[in-house]
Amino acid sequence: MKIVGKDEMEQIQDENDAVSLCSLFAGGESFGIDTRKIREVLGKRELQRVPLAPAMIAGVVPYRGEVLTTVNFRALVGMGEYAETGCVLVLDDGEGGERFGLVVDEVGGVVTVDRRKLEANPTTLEARAKWLFDGAYKMQTGLMVQLDPQKLRPSRLTETGLFKQGTNGRDA
Amino acid sequence: MGAPDKRDVDDLTKEFLAESQEGLDRMERCLTELESRPEDAGALVGEIFRAVHTIKGTTGFLGFERLEKLAHAGEHLLGSLREGKLAVTSELISGLLRLMDGLRAILKLIEETGGEGTRVGDDDSELIAELAELNGTAPEKVEEEAPRHELAVVGEAHAEAAAAKQAAAPSAASSAGSNDKTLRIDVDVLNRMMNLVGELVLTRNQMLQSGMEAANFPELARRLDSVTADLRETVMQARMQPVGNLFGKFPRMVRDLARTCGRDVRIEFSGQETGLDKSLLEAIKDPLTHAVRNAVDHGIEAPADRVLAGKPAEGLLRLRAFHESGSVVIEVADDGAGISMEKVLKKAVERGLVSEEQAQSMSEREALQLIFLPGFSTATAVTTVSGRGVGMDVVRANVEKVGGSVELESKIGVGTTLKLRVPLTLAIVPALVVRSGGQSFALPQTALVELVYVPRREAETAVERIGAAEVYRLRERLLPMVWLGRLLGLEMSASEESHGFYLAVLEAEGCRYGLVVDDLLAPEEIVVKPLSAVLREIGLFSGATVLGNGTLALILDIAATAARAGVKPVEERVEETETSEVKAHAESEMQFLIFEDRARERTAVPLNVVERIESVPLAQVEYAGGRALLQYRGELLPLTDEGNVLAELEADNASDVLATVLICGGAGTGARTRTGMVVRRVLDVSAGAVLDRDDATGGMELAIVKEKLTTIHRDFDTRAAAWQEVA
Repeated sequence: MKIVGKDEMEQIQDENDAVSLCSLFAGGESFGIDTRKIREVLGKRELQRVPLAPAMIAGVVPYRGEVLTTVNFRALVGMGEYAETGCVLVLDDGEGGERFGLVVDEVGGVVTVDRRKLEANPTTLEARAKWLFDGAYKMQTGLMVQLDPQKLRPSRLTETGLFKQGTNGRDA
Repeated sequence: MGAPDKRDVDDLTKEFLAESQEGLDRMERCLTELESRPEDAGALVGEIFRAVHTIKGTTGFLGFERLEKLAHAGEHLLGSLREGKLAVTSELISGLLRLMDGLRAILKLIEETGGEGTRVGDDDSELIAELAELNGTAPEKVEEEAPRHELAVVGEAHAEAAAAKQAAAPSAASSAGSNDKTLRIDVDVLNRMMNLVGELVLTRNQMLQSGMEAANFPELARRLDSVTADLRETVMQARMQPVGNLFGKFPRMVRDLARTCGRDVRIEFSGQETGLDKSLLEAIKDPLTHAVRNAVDHGIEAPADRVLAGKPAEGLLRLRAFHESGSVVIEVADDGAGISMEKVLKKAVERGLVSEEQAQSMSEREALQLIFLPGFSTATAVTTVSGRGVGMDVVRANVEKVGGSVELESKIGVGTTLKLRVPLTLAIVPALVVRSGGQSFALPQTALVELVYVPRREAETAVERIGAAEVYRLRERLLPMVWLGRLLGLEMSASEESHGFYLAVLEAEGCRYGLVVDDLLAPEEIVVKPLSAVLREIGLFSGATVLGNGTLALILDIAATAARAGVKPVEERVEETETSEVKAHAESEMQFLIFEDRARERTAVPLNVVERIESVPLAQVEYAGGRALLQYRGELLPLTDEGNVLAELEADNASDVLATVLICGGAGTGARTRTGMVVRRVLDVSAGAVLDRDDATGGMELAIVKEKLTTIHRDFDTRAAAWQEVA
């Protein structure tokens, strides 16, 4: 794991504004999640598909004596299926809520950014993405979109009704 | 959850609440016993007195004045009772029961709000006056007590009222839950658990240090296995609660119910100490309550009717709990009027659940099953029919939800027995793991009736169609088929076509159907893990489990699958009656076990009389009075040897010759005598048509089995009986 954005870190004046994000990749785009919300990075895992589950559910995976439901990030943002095995992150919002997994293509490293540098979502963004994304940080390599684990919770996702369409019965 | 609401309830109070509840439970039991066994009054009143006294003592210490006042009034009354100043009467017991309710209500309020509360109507003076009156004291005394009581309460009223209002609404719903979430465990059990966990840690350390290659690895693995098993058993034990906890509330309920219904009912228990998982105990609480209510309300007749029927005026309700083949059975038996079959059938026909002809041909057992149909219970008119049936479908659904089953037996004029059969625990269930569309699924063994393999060459002909529905002919009964892969929208693997398929015959909530799967894996004891809400919503999976090979398998909800596939219990029943007619026609066509006894002669016995096929060392065959005998499982079996196989084997003179013996029971006739039949070799099991009886062969019948002539044995019973006489 290399530390990306060392230069930026030096520019952060106030320590209180520093946020550590874990970078993730899906379909060539980069995203970031606050490291404090990540419980564990499981790495590449084969998932057990759940028939008839909503398309946003990637499947289930055993995790410390529990059966963890995982969210397929690609399905959320409307990307096609990833040809290879995805990486699983275990997220926990820390408020006694459910623990769940997030499946992305690749997990990068930890990046420290300045909270104040967060750019708001563009107004032209479509409704689903607007709901999912918190905004973006300008990195040297491109933009990194910040995600809120709270909003990625499977129960939250079904509540919004934005991601209803399709089930895991692929042939349907 | 709800923790902030209860910040007022400190540990001391919590302990007091638990203790008081137990005391009151004891009091309730004693009170109902007191009524039925006045001769034991001394001991029982003493027990009740102690319960109330303890509450009174502790409340004074904790500062719950309202509770103390009420408990004091009760104690006073009980004191007089104990000293023999008062006699036990029905009114007195009713009064004491109301006292108990009063105490319970205040305890509940304390649990919810942290204070004993004084909402409007939270006034016990009326109850206290009633108790005093029962005690024979002049009511004036109460009147001077009442204002004081109110004064005492007013001080805390304001603070408490606000808290009560806030907490009352949300906690009312959760209050039942809060009590269910705590569990009292024997410290010994907890210590044992801690020991085992220590052992587990030690074993892990050793394993980590020695590594996989170490010579003692197998030994460590064995130790790990035994420690895990012990730990599992201990945790299970900790979760076990005596069924008596559940039974405890029934005497009171039955008493109240009997009074309102004008019945005279005595309740008897046995097997209260039978342990059952706490979550299961909760799950069967409602069905059991329902069953008991039904028994009192509709099962047991009014005293006058009972006397007319020549039974004692007092009805008897028996609750029994016992272990039976790995599950716990809870039996609710009454000695009431029983269920009238004609009325049930009449009602069922009226409701359009079965047709007139079907009703005619129904056996008593089948007719009783009608009571469990959902349509049967909705109307109030049913109560006047037979009594049972009000919400019996709900009872069955609830019990089956936890993997149990319900059986009903009834005899007119003698009574009705309802059996609730539940597994010992929910956490670990035996299951069969199957594969479909490249995925593993677990089917609970409780729902599994049998497995059928349909080989590829038969696959085409085995599936028959009625309209669009596919059925399989299983022993001349049409079984609706459900393709698991198709139902779940799984991709069909190409290899599926190459071999046949398996049919798992499942039964749940009265639906019987064949689930088609690609492959069967091993039966396993699976640990049930809950699924997240999103996946529960799919409705077909009751959980997931990690298999021995580390992969996950979803646990299929058998009843929900049936519902999703459109399998209905009613349709099934229709088929049942139809096929029973078919069965009658097909009587001449039956299953045979075919073997060879005399050289080259094929002989067969009906398959249903054969219990086992044993290979017996010749040395074990003994002789008495010229007859060959075999000591088999503590029984002396006479051996028949038509083909003189034994003599032939003997002639071989080899030391370890094995004789093939068919162990035949007198099936169907009720005769318990078994016989052994020595045969040369067993050939096949097949269906065959019986030819007309041929006098020339005496007791023998001939049949065409697989297009070959075969002799049939059928006369075991007579022969065995004859032998018995000789002996």
